[in-house]
Amino acid sequence: MALVGRSVPRADGPAKVSGTAHYVDDLTRPGVLLGATLRSPVARGRLRGIRRDPAFDWAGVTVVTAEDVPVNVVALIEEDQPVLAADEIRHAYEPLALVAAEDPVRLAGALRALTPEIEPLPPVLTVADALARKAQIHGSDNIFATYRISKGDAARAIARSPVRLNGTYRTPHQEQLYIEPQGMLAFWDACGAHLQGSLQCPFYVQKGVKRTFSLDDAHVDVTQAVTGGGFGGKEEYPTLLALHALLLAKKSGQPVKMIYDRQEDIEATTKRHPCEVTIESGCDREGNLSAVSINVLMDGGAYVTLTPVVLSRGALHAAGAYRWDHVAIEAVAVATNTPPNGAFRGFGAPQTIWAIERHMDRIARELSLDPLLLREKNLLRVGDTTPTGQLLKESVGIQRCVEEAKKASGWDTKRATLGRAAPVRPVAAMQRQTAPGGSASRKARGIGASVFLHGAGFTGSGERKLKGRVAIDMFRAPSEKKPRFRIRTASTDIGQGTETVFLQIAADVLRVPMDRVEFATPSTAVVPDSGPTVASRTVMIVGSIVESAARELFARIEYERQKRGGSFDDAALRLLADQDPVVSEKTYEPPAELAWDDATYRGDAYPVFAWGCDIAEVEVDLDTFETAVLGFWAAHDVGKAIHPLMCKGQIEGGTLQAIGWALNERLVVKDGKILNARMSTYIVPTSLDAPRFTTILVEDPYSKGPGGGAKGIGELPMDGGAPAIAAAIEHATGIIRDDLPLLPEDLFAARQTGT
Amino acid sequence: MKITFVLNGRSRTIDAPPLARLLDVLRGTLGLTGTKEGCGEGECGSCTVLLDGVPVNACLVAAGQCDGRTVLTVEGLENKDGLSDLQDAFVTEGGAQCGICTPGFLMAARALLAGNPQPGEGEIREGIAGNVCRCTGYQRIVESIRHAGKERASREPG
Amino acid sequence: MNPAEIALHPFERPASLAELCRTLSTRAVRKEKTVLLAGGTDWIVERRLAPLESPDDLPLVLDVSRLPEMRAIHVAKEHAAIGAAATFLEIKSHPVLSRRVPVLTAMAREVGAVQIQARGTLGGNLATASPAADGAAALMALDADVVLASVTGERRVPLTQFFTGYRATRRAENEAIVRVEFALPRTGAHQMWRKVGTRAAQAISKVAFAAVVELEHGRGVRAGFGMASVAPVTASLPTVRALALAPNLASVSEQELEAATRRDITPIDDLRSTAAYRAHVAVALVKCFFRSLRTAIGS
Repeated sequence: MALVGRSVPRADGPAKVSGTAHYVDDLTRPGVLLGATLRSPVARGRLRGIRRDPAFDWAGVTVVTAEDVPVNVVALIEEDQPVLAADEIRHAYEPLALVAAEDPVRLAGALRALTPEIEPLPPVLTVADALARKAQIHGSDNIFATYRISKGDAARAIARSPVRLNGTYRTPHQEQLYIEPQGMLAFWDACGAHLQGSLQCPFYVQKGVKRTFSLDDAHVDVTQAVTGGGFGGKEEYPTLLALHALLLAKKSGQPVKMIYDRQEDIEATTKRHPCEVTIESGCDREGNLSAVSINVLMDGGAYVTLTPVVLSRGALHAAGAYRWDHVAIEAVAVATNTPPNGAFRGFGAPQTIWAIERHMDRIARELSLDPLLLREKNLLRVGDTTPTGQLLKESVGIQRCVEEAKKASGWDTKRATLGRAAPVRPVAAMQRQTAPGGSASRKARGIGASVFLHGAGFTGSGERKLKGRVAIDMFRAPSEKKPRFRIRTASTDIGQGTETVFLQIAADVLRVPMDRVEFATPSTAVVPDSGPTVASRTVMIVGSIVESAARELFARIEYERQKRGGSFDDAALRLLADQDPVVSEKTYEPPAELAWDDATYRGDAYPVFAWGCDIAEVEVDLDTFETAVLGFWAAHDVGKAIHPLMCKGQIEGGTLQAIGWALNERLVVKDGKILNARMSTYIVPTSLDAPRFTTILVEDPYSKGPGGGAKGIGELPMDGGAPAIAAAIEHATGIIRDDLPLLPEDLFAARQTGT
Repeated sequence: MKITFVLNGRSRTIDAPPLARLLDVLRGTLGLTGTKEGCGEGECGSCTVLLDGVPVNACLVAAGQCDGRTVLTVEGLENKDGLSDLQDAFVTEGGAQCGICTPGFLMAARALLAGNPQPGEGEIREGIAGNVCRCTGYQRIVESIRHAGKERASREPG
Repeated sequence: MNPAEIALHPFERPASLAELCRTLSTRAVRKEKTVLLAGGTDWIVERRLAPLESPDDLPLVLDVSRLPEMRAIHVAKEHAAIGAAATFLEIKSHPVLSRRVPVLTAMAREVGAVQIQARGTLGGNLATASPAADGAAALMALDADVVLASVTGERRVPLTQFFTGYRATRRAENEAIVRVEFALPRTGAHQMWRKVGTRAAQAISKVAFAAVVELEHGRGVRAGFGMASVAPVTASLPTVRALALAPNLASVSEQELEAATRRDITPIDDLRSTAAYRAHVAVALVKCFFRSLRTAIGS
């Protein structure tokens, strides 16, 4: 029986449930020192020096400053960020110096005995101040990147439309809050630099180490430890942490482990980009959409990191899942003196999808249309083109998603009977015993929906440039009679199930049980560069390379079997007698017909899109403005679910992050500093906050997806949750919010001001 | 200070500062790294262990307070046949994704099932409300615990 | 301080209340700092956030978590005594308390979640004197007494007089909080617990409201209220109490309730919430409770 499509037991499960899976903080080496970081207390300034308290006993303590850094840049898209600040400080918590000591008490003392001498400079803390060039903090204009996408003549078409509407929609920071904080273990030996850590992209880290220490590939080994969640937060940031740990290890001559505590992790590492989107649209009175003009403005924080790519993806998703004949999108990201923002699940799209979905609700409100009906009228279909002129040729399952979600949630009935359509229930007689949550408060229910898409894989020609590679080895293990297989890929399992899914795909092609296939720990010394674990590309892109490598290996064995007879295993063993291991290495071949022009932003932005419809039912307490999510229906077109249970797990987990962004999470930033960098003050949902999910997998296969048509869905579920919740709150209470979050205080304030 | 306690069914005596966190004693002194630290302030539940059968955050327990008591960690969950039903359910029902919160959830669930072998969904959600998971959305964790309860019931007729 | 530095504190586990009192007395005379540690759910967290004192000046930590005199829960016919080191888990699981004092049981069930309930204590709530302490709000509504012990014996302080300011109490340096005592509300008393926190569990209160009112012939004969996170100390809502004891409860207007509530609280903006929201919720919860009282009278 095929493994693909079945929810087999998770391959890395037994180690994780028995406590034997080794995360970076579980690792050690003889003589290991602990490392820590001295950070800037100010948002902007000049570092004049670092004073060491002469009264402190510095014996056995290693201190690293900018002077110790061979090439003081973090090699990402641009090289604007130093490994340690040497002169200008551009954000609070910026690393200024590093210390290492043998135990945590000595380490804490040493850190306290270092005092940075800083001449403060006036910081640029808001996007408006950045655009006004209150101070020049990046280039000549404080702008990190600008993109324009154009189709038809949006301005003219909007002017001629019978219904013209505009709105501005804002979204705030969001912290990934993976439960395992960032950490890295580093050491040097005759072979060069070695790193083991919590990370998504071993080759990103390797690239940074090569640049800073002027080393070649062979002298930098980066190995992933079991990683306790990432969500984008361990995409680019671990490079900086790896450089810090390696600098301390080099200077001390001993292995160094650096593990952030929660507060440091929240303060110093990247967040989701705050964003403001202004939309003007034109349609007719029946709700047939015609034209849209969209301005996207993102706050990149102090350094470029991945901001241009985040902005690009945000822009490419800004028009939503709808047909527009005329589109004009302009997207700009600016620099501010706040901690750098970076990758977080969705990568710019949740911000712009929030805006377009709230705008669709605005149109529905204006035209008195059912919001889901308005959306259905205008859904993209096969044969339509996107804002970049991409012709959708296949796998557009959005219509089915909407139908399934509507049916399962009872949309039509609830839309007609809940919310302002329903009378407010009278105050219930108070029970003598007040159960938690139970109360005599007045409550109102409502239901809301969102429709969205997410491009799977790298944008445009990204995959063509990257040329991701995967190897599968066939080998004979001692004391085993049958050949075994090992998948070597740089794709990391950070919880999403990469290992299991790749084993399923390869075992099916090789026609062997799953327990004869292994997944090599991603290590730059062992695996080829399959590209980073980002962009919803792991299953769809890297999984397809796994599939093609397995096919090639299978064909070689099959050829041998046909030539010289015997069973599959006999033939395999004959090949192994000649050469052990037998290796099949494949490089990704992007579909030949995909065309993309980076200069004009025209063409096929993504190989394919995944689609989704979310419906939320909420109950709002009219006294306290607390929102309880009573039900959540997510129907997502995943192409093909390789592992339905894990696929649902991705959708539910991503959706709860979106619900948290809407209802619980608020990062409080003042003077460039984060005031609530603790898990008791940055609030994410618990099991009692989370709704019961009804998750519907719609499968409209992608012809080039592995396992019979899988598409990337890692990020899709982050896109639709927040706007569906906002729409449901609006239905329940009449409170219209165009900005996140929707905390009780926000709803209360909106009700007070009548907005 | 000499601290004697029963750890995973075996009496242990260690020498540790009495105000060392139980978490550090387990992970450092005793080398049991299955118990994880996520926040260090009793918010995330990743370091949940059972102290005299009751779930506690090991980051908020002083080692000296464990003298003469019993402590159960994730390393003590397996039975002679290997993974317990509860652990097995987390593997087969999607209860573990990144896995860093999993030991804490398992310990909270173990305590819940000990007092209530077949909890309803609401009882499960209340029983694990002190454990934060950022991967799963909790639903597969709830299902894993429910499944473990059913498994046990099916093998214990009546 | 770094969590590892907490281990630098000296630590002792007194074998009895008498020994505890002796140690407290000696140290108080010498002006040496002492901390009583029960569940550690506040103290360990706060130490992490605190700067490190000189290693020679670290307070002595006395573990009281297993002192029999501080752990017992006694419920008599009309009276309850709860040891200061009894945990919220023990309180919420107590069958008689849940029948007679649901306001307390419901409160205990909503403190943090099970791990915090297993460690946290009423004594800790009262000693740290956080205005956000749910336990203090519920005890305030019960008009509890705080029983303090020292080498010279015991003394009782009504909870309404126990807090003297933000995180300050009438407990002297040589005293330990040993238990709280309160008269059980009579059967049929109206009790309400409502916590509005930062989320459904594992939350600190933005506002928490506790009310216990006994009615007789259509009027309140005993009324207690407590509210968390709306003032520098747990609020006892004296003006609202007076309204609950008004001769004609039915005639108390919504405007009077709002004015009384606002007079009794001084909420602020902080990381968890805003002053305006807190005031709104406080008023809404008081009104909600009075509506139910009026309904009870009417029926």
